[in-house]
Amino acid sequence: MAKILLVEDNEMNRDMLSRRLERKGFEVVMAPDGQQGLELAASEAPDLILMDMSLPVLDGWEATRRVKAGDATRNIPVIALTAHAMVGDRDKALDAGCDDYDTKPVDFPRLLGKIEMLLQRGKE
Amino acid sequence: MLSLLPKRVFWQAAAVAFVVIGGAGAGVMLSIGGVPLLLQATVPAVIATVLSALVIGMLARQVNVALAHHAEETRTHFERELARKTSELRSTLENMHQGVAMYDADYKLVTWNQRFREFLNMPDEFFSRDRSFIDYLRYIGARGEFGDQNIEAVVAQRVEQLKRVHSFERTRPDGTVLEIYRAPTPDGGFIAIYTDITARKQAEQELMRAMEAAEAANRVKSGFLANMSHELRTPLNAIIGYSQMLQEEAQDVGQADFVPDLTKIENAGKHLLGLINDILDLSKIEAGRMTVFIEEAKVSSVAAEVRGIIEPLAATNGNRLVIDCPDTVGTIETDVTKLKQSLLNLLSNASKFTKNGTIELAIARDGDRVVLRVSDTGIGMTADQMARLFQAFAQADASTTRKFGGTGLGLAITRHFARMLRGDVTVASEPGKGSVFTLVLPARQGEAPAQPMAAPRRAVSGDVTGERTILVVDDDEAVHDTIGGMLGREGYRVVHARNGRDALDIARKERPDAITLDVMMPQMDGWSVLTALKNEPALAEIPVIMLTMLHERAIALQLGAAGYITKPVDWAQLSAMLRRLGKRGDTASVLIIDDDPQMRETTRRMLERSGHTVAEATNGQEGLAWLAANPLPSVILLDLMMPVMDGFEFLERVRGNAAWRDVPVLVVTAKSLDAAEIETLRGVTQRIIDKGVSTGVDLRTAVRDILKSRAVTSKATTV
Repeated sequence: MAKILLVEDNEMNRDMLSRRLERKGFEVVMAPDGQQGLELAASEAPDLILMDMSLPVLDGWEATRRVKAGDATRNIPVIALTAHAMVGDRDKALDAGCDDYDTKPVDFPRLLGKIEMLLQRGKE
Repeated sequence: MLSLLPKRVFWQAAAVAFVVIGGAGAGVMLSIGGVPLLLQATVPAVIATVLSALVIGMLARQVNVALAHHAEETRTHFERELARKTSELRSTLENMHQGVAMYDADYKLVTWNQRFREFLNMPDEFFSRDRSFIDYLRYIGARGEFGDQNIEAVVAQRVEQLKRVHSFERTRPDGTVLEIYRAPTPDGGFIAIYTDITARKQAEQELMRAMEAAEAANRVKSGFLANMSHELRTPLNAIIGYSQMLQEEAQDVGQADFVPDLTKIENAGKHLLGLINDILDLSKIEAGRMTVFIEEAKVSSVAAEVRGIIEPLAATNGNRLVIDCPDTVGTIETDVTKLKQSLLNLLSNASKFTKNGTIELAIARDGDRVVLRVSDTGIGMTADQMARLFQAFAQADASTTRKFGGTGLGLAITRHFARMLRGDVTVASEPGKGSVFTLVLPARQGEAPAQPMAAPRRAVSGDVTGERTILVVDDDEAVHDTIGGMLGREGYRVVHARNGRDALDIARKERPDAITLDVMMPQMDGWSVLTALKNEPALAEIPVIMLTMLHERAIALQLGAAGYITKPVDWAQLSAMLRRLGKRGDTASVLIIDDDPQMRETTRRMLERSGHTVAEATNGQEGLAWLAANPLPSVILLDLMMPVMDGFEFLERVRGNAAWRDVPVLVVTAKSLDAAEIETLRGVTQRIIDKGVSTGVDLRTAVRDILKSRAVTSKATTV
């Protein structure tokens, strides 16, 4: 089963999303800040990363940039999650190397669609 | 005059004439008689002549007396008249609130009133007819009222001014503000009128401060709310998320009867989120943080997406949703997210206020515009309700909130969005007959989109092309016609304001590239408008050209005008000035090097208000370190006397470094420089400003001048 790295500093959001993902059969590893996220991305080799953008220590923009700059992690798809649908955010996320983008509060079915599409693309 | 002569005098004069003529006649007859007759005739002739002379003398005396008497009467009459007039004039002068003085052609004091004495606050001996205006100027110069300026130079300049009507304001040492008006008189002298405008000035300043404080508070509020978005949404996300999760879990474990209540929690959470989003959007608009992202989209796809969201909502009130969007409408270049949000606002309002009716979205292309019309068959509105419709926090009716919910912000946001996208939204409605909202947007944005509301100037990129907008402010309709026509022909877009208040509103809305501003306007004069413009950070950088009847260059420049032109306007001059001002330059980064924290603080604030970014260093050494670590600043403001490394050494190092050599440096110093020092600085600095007398405006103007000249230089190099 696919392994998802969820990088999110808000405990409730982390709990909710991880439980819902687990119920859908994903294996979920979690990090509360960008720095730890980056470390887990390297050590856990997840199939996909869900990255909150406003994170302590290292923010999501920078963490994504580093994920995309690392040889081992470059090919892991990243979905950026931001708190509000700001047009600038989408561009910024894509500029930082994110593969897709979604807004919080998460519309779970829509997010699942995006996850599955990216995982599918990875297999091809 | 003849009528004034008494009859007695007339008859005496007639008698004199008779005798004179008679005597002369006798003389003539005698001379005709020839020499022999001469002797015979001599005695009687002499007698006649003597007699005549006597009579004439006597009569003449009488006439003299009479004439003298008359002159006396006339003089008394005139003296009385003069005394009366003088007293009238005196009491007029003495009862005036203004100080008034008249000077003769030698600039000697001729007439003055008590108020004048009070305003001038001079020793008594100056109020006499043998003292001249020049004596007065030298005296107040010696008293220190011209600051560091050369007294004789100021005197010469003031005397030169006397040839023309001029007026200016002066703050006296005790804080009183005087408006001084001087005008030449026909005899070569001049009249001076002093008005105490302290109260007016204070009221203006207080008003300005209050306005600034209110605007600052509003910005702080909006900024706070915009920053709060994360904090407000996070707990809501949890509420919405967990209720969704519980619904899924409830179904999984066979507890489906929990689902309806959980759905209610979820919906209430979503509703609250919608309200918060509205408030945050509006705050963002007000704080100038709303940005516009232009992309091209098929109008029919936008309509289809909107249908997907609105259809369920329309159905809840039993409404039918009709969307008419022919393919011929094609594509639109706009901020698609804002367009969608605007349509959703209009359509959800229509659904809310209509029951068992029809809601229609009709989209059509009208030339280079796209017209999106949302109509419903709902409850409609009165004219009164419509008037308040687009204002924030003003739903058509307070009871509406209770009945229909919502923040009442949706329409305010929609209008803001429409205007940011260079369009507008309007409404037509009648109670009971439904409403029609019409959103009109340009199909192509062409150039840069309209600026976000209240955004700082730096949001404008320097290279935006296209027509330039000039705001013409004048209370005289003829000026609008002539200047408007002239500028229109030269390819400018002209917007008009008839008074100061409108001028400020329009300036905020239109962000013109330049403003021409009349000085003499009722209520709020040009100087007050100028001050208000310069005090508003978002407007401070718009160049203002003052149009004045008088020569008031000094005050114009002091208050921050970019130029001034005397009326009647010389078109060529105005046009050249506007061309020279060019497009507004970008704002600058400024490095302040000064060891005095207070000086750094005030300068920073002043520059930041003009939209510049500011960095600080406390001595030359730190300044060099900053330069090494950062991109070059647009200007350096340099103090000379500093510990560790002083300004002179700093300059030497900067000018010796090829990468830094061209950064403009403004020396701001309290040190009185000797000739050698000035010589040293002259080649390596742009300008020297004396801390003691420098005002914020000086600095701001100096920084702006430098930026302007740099803009010209960089343009020249790219051409």
